[in-house]
Amino acid sequence: MDFYLGLAQVIGVHTLLGLSAYCVLLTGQVSLAQAAFFAVGAYVAAILTVIFKWHLFAALGVSAVVSGLTACAVGFPALRVKGLMLVVATLAFGEAVRLFFFNFTYQIQAGELKIGPHGAEGFRQIRYFPEHGWSTFDVLVFIWLMVAMVMACLWWLDQSRAGAVMRAVGEDEVAAHSSGINVTAVKVSAMTIGGVIAGIGGGIFAHYTTHIEHVQFGVILATFAIAYPILGGLSNVFGTLLAVIFIQGFLIEGLRFLGDWRNLLFGALIVLAMNLRPRGFLDSGGVASLKRMLFARKESSGA
Amino acid sequence: MDLLDLIDAVQSVADGVLFGSTYALLGIGFTLIFGVMHKINLSYAAASIGAAYGSLLLLSGFTAAPAIVVFMAAALCGGVIGALVYFIGFKFIPVANPLATLMSTVGLLLLIDEIIVHTTEGVPLAYPALYSDVVVRFGQFMLRGDLMFVFVLGCACMVLFLLLLYRTRLGIATRAVSQQPIASQLCGISILQVNVLTFVVTGMLGGIAGAMSGAAIGMLSPLLAQPLTVKGLIVTVIGGLGSIPGAIIAGLIVGGLESLFQFLRGVTERDLYIMMLLFAFLVFRPGGIFAKASGRD
Amino acid sequence: MRIVSIAAAALLAGVMTGLSGGAFAQERTVKITGFGAKSGVVRVFGVNSEAAMKAAAEEINKAGGVTLGDGTKAKLSVEFLDDRCNAEEGISVIRRIASTDAFVAIGPTCSNVAESLFGILQKKVGDASDSGLQFPVFADVAAKGGLAAISEWAFRNVPSELEMYKSLFAWLKREHPDLKTIYGGVEKDFAHSNATYGVMKKQAEENGFQLLGTGEWLLNDTNFSTQVREMRRANPEIVAISAHPFTTCGVLREMDRQGVKPKLLIGLTSSSSIETLQGCAKQAEGIIIPTSFAPVTPEAKAAAENVSKQGGSMDLHSAAAYEIMFILKDVIESQKIMAKPDTVQADRTKMRQGLAALKETKGLLGKVGRTNDREAIKPYLYVYAKDGSWQVLHKPSS
Repeated sequence: MDFYLGLAQVIGVHTLLGLSAYCVLLTGQVSLAQAAFFAVGAYVAAILTVIFKWHLFAALGVSAVVSGLTACAVGFPALRVKGLMLVVATLAFGEAVRLFFFNFTYQIQAGELKIGPHGAEGFRQIRYFPEHGWSTFDVLVFIWLMVAMVMACLWWLDQSRAGAVMRAVGEDEVAAHSSGINVTAVKVSAMTIGGVIAGIGGGIFAHYTTHIEHVQFGVILATFAIAYPILGGLSNVFGTLLAVIFIQGFLIEGLRFLGDWRNLLFGALIVLAMNLRPRGFLDSGGVASLKRMLFARKESSGA
Repeated sequence: MDLLDLIDAVQSVADGVLFGSTYALLGIGFTLIFGVMHKINLSYAAASIGAAYGSLLLLSGFTAAPAIVVFMAAALCGGVIGALVYFIGFKFIPVANPLATLMSTVGLLLLIDEIIVHTTEGVPLAYPALYSDVVVRFGQFMLRGDLMFVFVLGCACMVLFLLLLYRTRLGIATRAVSQQPIASQLCGISILQVNVLTFVVTGMLGGIAGAMSGAAIGMLSPLLAQPLTVKGLIVTVIGGLGSIPGAIIAGLIVGGLESLFQFLRGVTERDLYIMMLLFAFLVFRPGGIFAKASGRD
Repeated sequence: MRIVSIAAAALLAGVMTGLSGGAFAQERTVKITGFGAKSGVVRVFGVNSEAAMKAAAEEINKAGGVTLGDGTKAKLSVEFLDDRCNAEEGISVIRRIASTDAFVAIGPTCSNVAESLFGILQKKVGDASDSGLQFPVFADVAAKGGLAAISEWAFRNVPSELEMYKSLFAWLKREHPDLKTIYGGVEKDFAHSNATYGVMKKQAEENGFQLLGTGEWLLNDTNFSTQVREMRRANPEIVAISAHPFTTCGVLREMDRQGVKPKLLIGLTSSSSIETLQGCAKQAEGIIIPTSFAPVTPEAKAAAENVSKQGGSMDLHSAAAYEIMFILKDVIESQKIMAKPDTVQADRTKMRQGLAALKETKGLLGKVGRTNDREAIKPYLYVYAKDGSWQVLHKPSS
């Protein structure tokens, strides 16, 4: 049971990571910097709970704000580039942040031990959850509350004018600009919101793995971050959730019985998925046919 | 900075530039695929390393194949892998979905990496090098013979490739498709043929680049795929997307700068500076060194 | 249609046999689960650990198996899970193992996974306010210093690099009193090599060697000319490299090229493996590495052969896994572990108690002491690379 709870925790945190990239992808920007904002959130939240003994909620709040500000700062220069250039620029920024944490040491004496991040060795013993008696189930509930909140916010955003504006910028910048939309503001806002979400996710990540180091926040994590919304489809937030369940639940844990073949299938199945459904699992076509399936049955039973 | 430091600095840069010819070849591959297909192939560096491994596999039956034969085998494997990558990762995905191709090439990168790890258990393999014992000395300076060979080979490949691009029918067809796909089709150029041949030729280039990397380091390891991918992308972007001369020059520059930063600031900050430099470069000169005159994105 | 029904019947029979788990068999089977990295560049560690565990299980089973708490004999079987050297997956794997009837797990390979994994275990036994997992984990490979101290449920059978390098440098000072200067090299972005370099540096200086400088590089670097050039300028008599085979070989080749020929070369414990010899046997000639395994006793030789038969190779890391299996057998028998589905939590507590109470265990090179911090004090010796293989240089007497 504990195993399934743990897996659900991982799916929750990765959904937050995926949603942060989803937000940015809506405006047509592919950002490989989400792992960097995730890292910033992780380190900030961990430092606050371990060194300054803050409560987790307060620490997460601050980490979300700091990540959001970092994302905002990246957003402005990033606007000057588009397409593949943005991919590489955000990759470069992400790597720069990771290298910053590679060098970052901030330790204080606590009794006979030193605690805090220690450069390449990372930040160990972030034990807020076990020390405060949070069971696996408690942590799970907390994670999914945050995920639900974020998904609800993004859903609401999507239904409102802001969402339409974001998607308009994503579809065709020139047309959006011509209709009077301030493209710069939209893109930077999307980056900032993405940064905030990643900050929350990163803060939780630091606490449930109890040890963070620069290696974890590299290109691989950044690639996973954009993989989730691309595989899931950009039409709504549930696509990202579905993609996270597919990758973390099915490809990584579900295929374990295949032993060594699991890793080979990982790459192969992603390629297959992209060939079969290039717009993602839940693209607008998929959602439309789902709706037809569900609602058509209701209509026919009523008639 | 005294004379000794200056000599060391120049030496570092020289070594870096020689090594940079590998980056230049990878940059050409990335930029050409982008130019023709307007999509990025993230699995390119992994495929190049895979081709180098393939050459070792092909020639494992022969005890002491001369290094030149190994390089040619790598080119051959590279071409085959390139064609496979095209059919699995590009052919069936609609042109309007660049994101899907990005992901499919990521999947291919993971797949190629795992295949390498599974066949070799992740253990580094020795790779034959030509002139590895040769060192050319000019007083205090020293230039590695094998790196010079790699540089010369790289330059030869680049020249051959530019000849191919600008003097042959295939080259004209490739450039036509990259500039105006619809018009080229109207002129009777088969897009499928051009695409496949582009992938095969860049695959061969990549195979040679992979073999050159292996030869310069003396070993092949799956560890190489990730940094070569990142550097290849950096070189492509600095050189200007779709510009071959840009990729060549950018490759040499990145190689030299890397060494220079290493010399000046040490390893922990070296990559940090490269990344910040890249970020700044993209912000101030998003088109790259040789920004393309026409075309969007 | 017939073929389909025959196939279905065969499949069903297979599934039923699998599900019943050998209920028709006379003997019981106790499954020991190992986990570690079987992907990426560290795949070879997982493969070797798995082979070592299987070889040990075979030896134990040939000698009659383990005697459980109720007197029945059981055979050991081994399962190995891949955590891909990823902390989240490592945590997932241990939760998966903990949700079965298992009462112990052997692993992980990577130190960063061990950090996170030990971090989610209950820190102090009996602390009701600590909601950490209560499951004993016995590490075979994760070598970063001080990990077992993280939790009372964490145990390790890895050599103490502090002890090994302390004794190595003291011995070198005695053997070569004329050598005074040393230059270091370190793989900066890998926790193990980085931490061990700190140990090497300190021990070298404490034994009177003068550290002239340090060359630094990253795990997947390919160009070492700048670092080696600085080394050449310093002209050291001893060079100590704390890096894994790929970059160690890269640096050694560059040293060869630039004509840097120190009188002594010292390497990282993990590099005393086949990888270094496969990559650069010529340039690595003479490199001295302290290790906790070499096939010097008949027992060690036999064990190494058994591991090869299982498809792996025996080195200091997989030897630890091999030894752990025998330690587990002893604890199962001494603590009278029942290994039944309804005694799972009791078995885990007994296993932990048994492991914590051990003062000494049997190793392939001799007796292995155990500390209060749940670490191991393993006998070690120094090997050096000669003619493409590892030969024993010196066996310290203590």
